[in-house]
Amino acid sequence: MFEEIPVEIGLVHEGERIRKSNMHCELGGPGIKEKFELVRVCQAETIVHGKISIIGPDLPDIPASSSQPFAILVEIAGEGLDSDIEGVLERRIHEYCNYIQGFMHLNQRYDIWCRLSTQAWNKGFRTLRYIGEVLIALLCSELPLIKSAQVTFFTDPVEIHKRYDDALAIYESRDARARGLHDEDVDVFYGCALCQSFAPTHVCVITPERYANCGAISWFDGRAAARIDPKGPIFAIEKGVCIDPVLGEYSGVNESARDRSMGEVTRVCLYSAYTWPHTSCGCFEGIAFFIPEVEGYGIVHRGFQEVTVNGLPFSTMADSTAGGRQVAGFHGISIEYLRSGKFLAAEGGYARVVWMPESLKEKIYSFIPAELCDVIPTEASVTSINELREFLKKNNHPVIQYWNSSEINNNESEERAGSGNNPVFTFKELPFTGNGIKITLKNAKIYAEKVIIEPVRQKRSDKGDNHE
Amino acid sequence: METGIGFIRDLEVSVGHMNIERWDEPQGPTPFPTITTFRNWDRQLLSRYKPFYMPFCDLCCLCTFGKCDLTGTKRGACGITMAAQQSRIVLLASCIGAATHVSHAHELVSELIKRFGPDFRLDPGGLSVGVEAPLIRLVCGLKPETLSDLETVVSYLEREVTSLLSATHTGQEGDPLDLESKVFHSGMIDHVGLEVADIAQISGFNFPKADPDAPLIRLGVKGIDTKKPVILVIGHNVTPSVSIMEYLKEFHSADSAEVTGICCSAIDLSRNNKKARIIGPISWQMRYIRSGIPDVIVVDEQCIRTDVINEAGAVNTRVIATSEKNCIGLPDRTNDTAESIINDLVSNKLPGVLILDPLKSAQVAVETSLRIFEERRRTHRPFSEAEANEAALNCTGCMECVRSCPNELPIPDAIQSFRDGNPVNLRELLDLCNGCIRCEQACPKGIPVHRLIVYSGWEKLNNEQFTVRAGRGAIQDTEIRTVGGPLVLGEIPGIIAFVGCANYPNGGEEVARMAVEFAHRKYIVCTSGCSAITIGMYHDEDGKTPYEAYSGKFDAGCILNVGSCVSNAHISGAAVKIANIFAKRNLRGNYEEIADYVHNRVGAVGIAWGAMSQKAAAIAAGFWRLGIPVIVGPQGTKYRRMLLGRGDIDSDWTVMDSRTGEEVYTGPVPEHLFYAAETEEEAMMMAAKLCMRPNDTGKGRIIKITHYIDLYRKLYGKIPDDIYRFIRKKGDIPLTLKDSIEENLKMHNWKESPIPDPTRIRSYEGKSGESKR
Repeated sequence: MFEEIPVEIGLVHEGERIRKSNMHCELGGPGIKEKFELVRVCQAETIVHGKISIIGPDLPDIPASSSQPFAILVEIAGEGLDSDIEGVLERRIHEYCNYIQGFMHLNQRYDIWCRLSTQAWNKGFRTLRYIGEVLIALLCSELPLIKSAQVTFFTDPVEIHKRYDDALAIYESRDARARGLHDEDVDVFYGCALCQSFAPTHVCVITPERYANCGAISWFDGRAAARIDPKGPIFAIEKGVCIDPVLGEYSGVNESARDRSMGEVTRVCLYSAYTWPHTSCGCFEGIAFFIPEVEGYGIVHRGFQEVTVNGLPFSTMADSTAGGRQVAGFHGISIEYLRSGKFLAAEGGYARVVWMPESLKEKIYSFIPAELCDVIPTEASVTSINELREFLKKNNHPVIQYWNSSEINNNESEERAGSGNNPVFTFKELPFTGNGIKITLKNAKIYAEKVIIEPVRQKRSDKGDNHE
Repeated sequence: METGIGFIRDLEVSVGHMNIERWDEPQGPTPFPTITTFRNWDRQLLSRYKPFYMPFCDLCCLCTFGKCDLTGTKRGACGITMAAQQSRIVLLASCIGAATHVSHAHELVSELIKRFGPDFRLDPGGLSVGVEAPLIRLVCGLKPETLSDLETVVSYLEREVTSLLSATHTGQEGDPLDLESKVFHSGMIDHVGLEVADIAQISGFNFPKADPDAPLIRLGVKGIDTKKPVILVIGHNVTPSVSIMEYLKEFHSADSAEVTGICCSAIDLSRNNKKARIIGPISWQMRYIRSGIPDVIVVDEQCIRTDVINEAGAVNTRVIATSEKNCIGLPDRTNDTAESIINDLVSNKLPGVLILDPLKSAQVAVETSLRIFEERRRTHRPFSEAEANEAALNCTGCMECVRSCPNELPIPDAIQSFRDGNPVNLRELLDLCNGCIRCEQACPKGIPVHRLIVYSGWEKLNNEQFTVRAGRGAIQDTEIRTVGGPLVLGEIPGIIAFVGCANYPNGGEEVARMAVEFAHRKYIVCTSGCSAITIGMYHDEDGKTPYEAYSGKFDAGCILNVGSCVSNAHISGAAVKIANIFAKRNLRGNYEEIADYVHNRVGAVGIAWGAMSQKAAAIAAGFWRLGIPVIVGPQGTKYRRMLLGRGDIDSDWTVMDSRTGEEVYTGPVPEHLFYAAETEEEAMMMAAKLCMRPNDTGKGRIIKITHYIDLYRKLYGKIPDDIYRFIRKKGDIPLTLKDSIEENLKMHNWKESPIPDPTRIRSYEGKSGESKR
């Protein structure tokens, strides 16, 4: 493969940076206003397999050290290909270009920035055709569904200008479709078993509205990967019957989870952090954690190095969350999931979110319902559960409605009769702490003659943890 | 009673069994294991990685029956075979190493308890480290919170080292595999000792706590301010050095003397105080002492030249010994007043003293250096041009120096050129010289060969300023989470750790080049000890040292220095934490299951390119028991045996797939457990190869294979013949190499095999069911 190309082609060259002092010329980049790269699925008869065209000057005619307008159009055809796969294959342009020793490709879409190194030029890399050959060979090799592919490079600004607006419109319509796609609109979700190499019982379910926990794989990526390698670690899950639309429980997802987790996981509710939640691997980007004192959820991301409002840092809570388990109230998530309409939908979505780090809030601000933006505090406004409680009350956070069940009629006690043989509380583990010891009752069932529920005047003081 | 959900009144509690402790993780099956607890696991490993012996000596001379000739099928007077004798010597060496680290840990803990009390809380990593002591949790089943918790651990370690050592007695263990199992045990004990020592000193001496941005430390001799007194610390136990810094700060000012260091004491001192200067690795002792720059040398323990007192005396430098384990024949002045000791040193009544009190030794070192340095500057006479010329003239070219040089450096030719007026060849030898000065011992004419080499290279040496990042300590739990995604998505090919001493075959630049090459290839590169120092001693084309050019995070393409020898615990600890963090496998007293996890899933490899000491042997053994391969340089063959797998025997390379319960073929991954490479190119190729594991995802395997093939091709000019053994499915084939790999597959009748959920402990499902959850 690629014997005639004068430089090496291979994965080891990925990540190579070519500095200005070391570049022969630059294609695209910050100095060029109009540039793009695009993959289009076409009818077979409209393209010629293997054809590589260069509209405008080729490398020898581009002045050394200059920046040249640049666009790449890859057209592919083959049975079973549809336009949904275009976005995924377009990212392969970036990947494959970087396999070329001495050629750097940064960014994507209308933002591409390429450089050819002086060494590659000196070795005889004198035509863009080589890049075309690499793209065609690797695309066809990776995805046998592609029966024909042709590549056109544009270096003539006039020719690029003619196509530029169309390219932007294609990106926009692709994004709009992705944004508008709901879990209800598709019959197939995707599962990813990559993390099973480290967490054997974890099964990621990737839906249009729920990114993989790692934040790296969207439903579209999953679909492309499953098509490219049907026996691979990313696989289709037939949704099956929707058992509960609010919780996001589907019969097909349950079956798949059971199979893939060796029976450890039998039910998965995609939109819940509490009821049969999605398992958490080890590399989730953030955690939604239940704060029982306020009946709400805090969100923390991996980059937040301080303690959260419950006195625990990310690392400690992650320990309670991870390992391919379903842990009620500790839920590993991707940042992208925070932008989804199904985010914690079963619990009430953002109306149940009561805390998040400032830096995370900035990142996802526009996805928080406008009326909630100011009532979800960060570490800048509250640093303890007591302060949090006060803040939520003062700002009338909607989570307060969930307090009513346990905080009846302001300072009045409610008495409830114990119901005979049924325990009033059961706990898998019930810890008591005090005087420097902790007693844990395992599988504790509490029977009581009388249960009194009344609101408590909050004591000022501890953050609830012993970090020094 | 008040609970999170309300008040509970009239509650009766009856309790079956009560544990008073603060850790709710259930105890695993093997807390405080004895020397036979993991015999089965060790044999599992050794059945695959059989010892390959390279006797360094054919005789046994450990008892009065001997010397016994053990060549061929001969047995010694006690019945021992050559194989067992080699394993026995490995065990002895590893016991020496483990004893040294454990004793070092014990001293640190005792000293810190003396300073801060037994209830002083351990804090090795602040909020980013939840699993504070992965190895102690794993081996001892304890979650240490205070210094006194560490005392419990140390007592256990001491008991184990004693048992291990007793197994080497004449007429004790005689089976090579049982001896090897004990070698592994000594390694595991050693790593726990390392962890005790480092988390104690990080907490007590306030070292960087798992900090990727630990400061850059000055490295080298350039810029030492000789207008001030210069103190040199050598060794590994940082207490006396820290005391010097504290004394300076309290009674003078931190800047009133230059405190310089060699080897791990220097590394650890720079973790305590970024003003400390690291001179170089252990191989720099002789050149720096003989330069006469240090006014006072303070030695603590381990890897210190035993002739330091003679060499220091020759340049009128005073020596203070501070360790019970290294008294170097000096009078014990611990109980005398500081003033009287200082007077005796200043007046040269004594060339050196033993002071077994770090605070007093610090006072004596500082005050003595302040009083003598001006006089020393006036009277010090460096090795002169005339002396150099005269020495060179005496060379007869007899080659004795070459024969005695571990690296067979072409010394006589270089001296001849020097005589002819060309010092370049001699100067170049300085980069390759490991400072053992065996050449001087061997020279029949008494030529100070090393001195001559240093004389030629000193100007260059004195003009190079380097940096090394201060040892950061542990790897953050969150950093491990961050790399989880890229590891399974095939963006990070593995973790390579450069560890160990400075007995390099071709100078230190090879280690620096390898570290940079792997960082460039997006591996996670860890460094420690003398390797960490050596890597800092080179500049790239922009004039940056590797620590300036690469980030100190635990991430793709970074170069992170964990710290000194004892900080190696954080590298094995990170591998162990991966099991806890990703799979929620309990660590507590659960060594076997975790080792099985690490061996089958964590693509880490250690490279000890200049491994020299018994401690390095013990450190390697600790990695072996976790199933982590170690590569040594050519001098490493003198450790007497390798642990080599046989890739060509298919039946050696099966695991149980936990999903199906079936035995499946995985290919030889990782192929070896202990391997000596001849050249840096071979070491890099082998390291890339040994990063493969049975659990690799398709994408992960693609990137690992790509680097293996690339490095192999650079070395041998072709695709490796065994590549078919590493392809499990067509999806493992890198796209750009499809044609040549498919040809190789065809040639070897390749068949697809599954990617398993791998384990080599058949019974672990039943054995640790509780702990697994």
